[in-house]
Amino acid sequence: MDKLESMWEVYLKKGLSRRSFIKGCVALTTMMGLSTNMLAEVVAAAEKNSLPVVIWLHGHECTGCDESFLRSGTPLASDVVLNTIALEYSHALSASSGEPFEHHLQEIMKTYNGKYILAVEGAVATAENGIYCMSGGRTFTSLLQEVAKGAAAIIEYGSCATGGGIQAAKPNPTGSVGVSYIVGNKPIVKVPGCPPIPEVMTGVIMHYALFGKLPPLDSEGRPKQFYGNRIHDTCYRRPFFDSGKFAEKFDDAGSKAGWCLYKLGCRGPETYNSCGNLRWWNGLSYPIQSGAPCIGCSNDHFWDDAPFSTRMPEYGPLGDVDKIGAIAAGLTAAGVAAHGAMSVVQKKKRQAAEAKADESKTDGKKVD
Amino acid sequence: MKRVVVDPITRIEGHLRVEIKVDEASGKVEDALSSGTAWRGLELVMHDRDPRDGWAYIQRICGVCTTAHALGSLRAVEDALGITIPKNANYIRNIMAATQTVQDHLIHFYHLHALDWVSPVEALAADPAAAAALQNTILNTYQLPFEGPAGIDTQAFPKSFPAATPKYFKVIQDKVKKIVDSGQLGIFAAQWWDHPDYKLLPPEVHLLAVAHYLEMLDKQREIVTPHVIFGGKNPHPMYCVGGMPCSISLDDMNAPINTERLAVVDRAVNTSIDLVKYYYLPDLLAIGHIYVQKGYVDGGGMAKERVLSFGDYPDEPCSGTTNGDYFKNLLIRSHGVVEDFGKGLNAAKFTELKGEELSDPAVFTEGVEHAWYEYPEADGKSLHPWEGVTKPKYTGPKEGTKTEWKTLDEEGKYSWLKTPLWRGKMCEVGPLAQYIIVYTKVKKGVIAEPNWAEKFIVDQIEAVSKLLNLPPEVWMTTMVGRTAVRGLAAQLNAYINKYYYNKLIENIKTGDTKVADSSKWEPSTWPKEAKGVGLYDAPRGALSHWVHIKNGKIFNYQAIVPTTWNACPRDSKAGHGAYEKAMMDTKVKVADKPLEILKVVRSFDPCMACATHMYNAEGKRIKVVTTDPYLGTLQE
Repeated sequence: MDKLESMWEVYLKKGLSRRSFIKGCVALTTMMGLSTNMLAEVVAAAEKNSLPVVIWLHGHECTGCDESFLRSGTPLASDVVLNTIALEYSHALSASSGEPFEHHLQEIMKTYNGKYILAVEGAVATAENGIYCMSGGRTFTSLLQEVAKGAAAIIEYGSCATGGGIQAAKPNPTGSVGVSYIVGNKPIVKVPGCPPIPEVMTGVIMHYALFGKLPPLDSEGRPKQFYGNRIHDTCYRRPFFDSGKFAEKFDDAGSKAGWCLYKLGCRGPETYNSCGNLRWWNGLSYPIQSGAPCIGCSNDHFWDDAPFSTRMPEYGPLGDVDKIGAIAAGLTAAGVAAHGAMSVVQKKKRQAAEAKADESKTDGKKVD
Repeated sequence: MKRVVVDPITRIEGHLRVEIKVDEASGKVEDALSSGTAWRGLELVMHDRDPRDGWAYIQRICGVCTTAHALGSLRAVEDALGITIPKNANYIRNIMAATQTVQDHLIHFYHLHALDWVSPVEALAADPAAAAALQNTILNTYQLPFEGPAGIDTQAFPKSFPAATPKYFKVIQDKVKKIVDSGQLGIFAAQWWDHPDYKLLPPEVHLLAVAHYLEMLDKQREIVTPHVIFGGKNPHPMYCVGGMPCSISLDDMNAPINTERLAVVDRAVNTSIDLVKYYYLPDLLAIGHIYVQKGYVDGGGMAKERVLSFGDYPDEPCSGTTNGDYFKNLLIRSHGVVEDFGKGLNAAKFTELKGEELSDPAVFTEGVEHAWYEYPEADGKSLHPWEGVTKPKYTGPKEGTKTEWKTLDEEGKYSWLKTPLWRGKMCEVGPLAQYIIVYTKVKKGVIAEPNWAEKFIVDQIEAVSKLLNLPPEVWMTTMVGRTAVRGLAAQLNAYINKYYYNKLIENIKTGDTKVADSSKWEPSTWPKEAKGVGLYDAPRGALSHWVHIKNGKIFNYQAIVPTTWNACPRDSKAGHGAYEKAMMDTKVKVADKPLEILKVVRSFDPCMACATHMYNAEGKRIKVVTTDPYLGTLQE
């Protein structure tokens, strides 16, 4: 993606006069609520290069993704919001509300047409022509489509934006879908998770700021660096899986010893995310380290892959996880195949491990 | 008379719209309408799920007050199934809750509410040396010297302390100037910075508050680490029915919890105490004091008339909610209703809330007169959460089209929020409600022997009354009071956090490391049918979750959340809800820049995603019709 042009460069390119440029600056000055005696500063600033402009929209969401973004330790939230990007529209942080806020959005879209990054948090409620999610007196669907048109790229933050999320779980009362279902023809970065890890969220922005382009993506549109590994393969408890040591129920001896949570329903073996290597709070912990089986929150439609306490082979759109490789081979999407990366060797190893674990149980009952 | 619409309202959670009718000459708000403009239908999603997973789904109601709904759900399911959690799990959950409360209040004050009071533009006019002097004055003047019970004291000296040097304020001011000069105001763009209210505070207060806004943007994350330790992540930490998943072992670094992990929690608790003590409370009280001195004592509304709280922090594990045990065992015994506190302590009337009343259809109900739903058989009657029916009935606006509104219809339906009622009446909920109730109960002798936390509350209220030189019924029942009490609650909760951390350590010291009780984990151990209620005084106020379990699955799920109580649409018998009342109790100086309206609405800390998904999952399905070719599969 191109480096952002200054406002003056844009005017030059469009063959507009210096006079109309100054007029544009007057409008900008007023729009920012500044007195016109600050015009000189605004003109000077607009002639310089600017920070990447980000417009952050909220659909059907819980604001957990905003909160996660703000929890980022590296980079720190203040450094991102004040020095790395110009966050010009955000329901969570923007000072302004109502009409001037919506007007500002229109102005920003015009001024930075084709240059701004659109970040979307939340699902798109499509049922009944979008009336289940209204903002500024209009449907979120129409707002999203309008803002997407002029975006240089779109970042879908969180599993609601990437796939509809919790409100899209059965019976999906509001017809919620992911952002890509209704917008297209743009570079789209998918950042799934409920919420995504703070540093993954800011990492996408940081990559853009540092290298001037979007991070390399996998075939499903996710940044490779953050979603390239299965939690299972990066989990510090993996050796216990390999040696057949499992927690059988919450707070048993295996739980206290930090053994593998596979039998408590852990979705680590099918989930691609950075929980195992990056972890939360710069390495502090992640659900499995805190004793909780992964619920696979960065997987599409994970809310319907439940009950969560059921161990993996018994549920899910792909069926028996041990057969994932075989099923995926029949699918055309290369990205899906990536999910089936579990090797035959791995599979055999695990079957052996499970058999061993089952034998070792004293009550002899099958625990699922 | 002018009708003014503000939509969207930012710096809140979710989608909120308000409309006011204001007399331009007098600034009086004649009518006000609050509308939740989005609806997610999460209770329908809950239908037929495994009750052991309920907390994970329903926690996603809200990521700002993350954990609140998980706790509500766990308590409801455990009440239904008759599960008593182990001591350690009770203390850990209380630490999770107190952590959330402090962090939530702090972020609300600095990042959601502050820009209603302070402006980066005003900060440019400040003298950095004067700002440094002011910081010293504030630290000396605005302290509330109360502490929780003595316990483990690991911190040698405060690690978070505000800078009070001219250079510091100059650096911050230069940064603000750079942002303004850059022409890219980002999050500070397009606000009504020329509103006269921004002239109420001296420029140095603006600079100081903006500096702390920036500092807290980075600091707030440090006090959430107990969620990451005990729950693996934040937002949306992990739990399990029957206790906590984070097993304790003092023998093993592979274990979720050991000495090193507990030390992380200790650090966070100490940090939260410092941030409230040296930043949040002094800043809040200084700004509030100036506002009150300048006569800003409006915006109370419903707080003067009726407030509701459920009480919180089960001090020890309790055996259930509907059996009344929850109320017998609380650290903050605020369960009940206080009416007419605005008329003074003598006139104030307290009504206790009892366990059996939770199942009484005369006590808690929800109505839909002005909400986009209909009750076909009840004909306008309000229904108990167990009996609720959900049938959306979207009627669109008064002016405009169904997908493009001009004005909503205050005569008809205008919100996705239902109207919750206590004995047919509206109530305000939140930290202010909790404080009013504890204060009234203690002062009237209903609580004869206040415990340390209740005494803490009364001491705080009396200290602030002295500072402001106003009686509690005057300053508390205002916009400033609502915001101030949230800060007082943050101070209390920081010490509550330490109190339960101490209890956890003391209990582990006895050799008890149990965190989960799995004896009723298997559905085969459950009754065929069971109902339960989970109560929780969340950061935004009284939260109740209602679950009906049938044949091992969730049959019906209902949550009545704080923002529904406060932001609900009116009712022809019960009158206006708390937001609408507070707006009508607020004077507006510039009709088309109603900053005061935004300030009073934000004083409630709105959480719309919590409020607007409310309805019953009585097996009703919503017809989904889409016109998008990609969405063909969604049609039913």
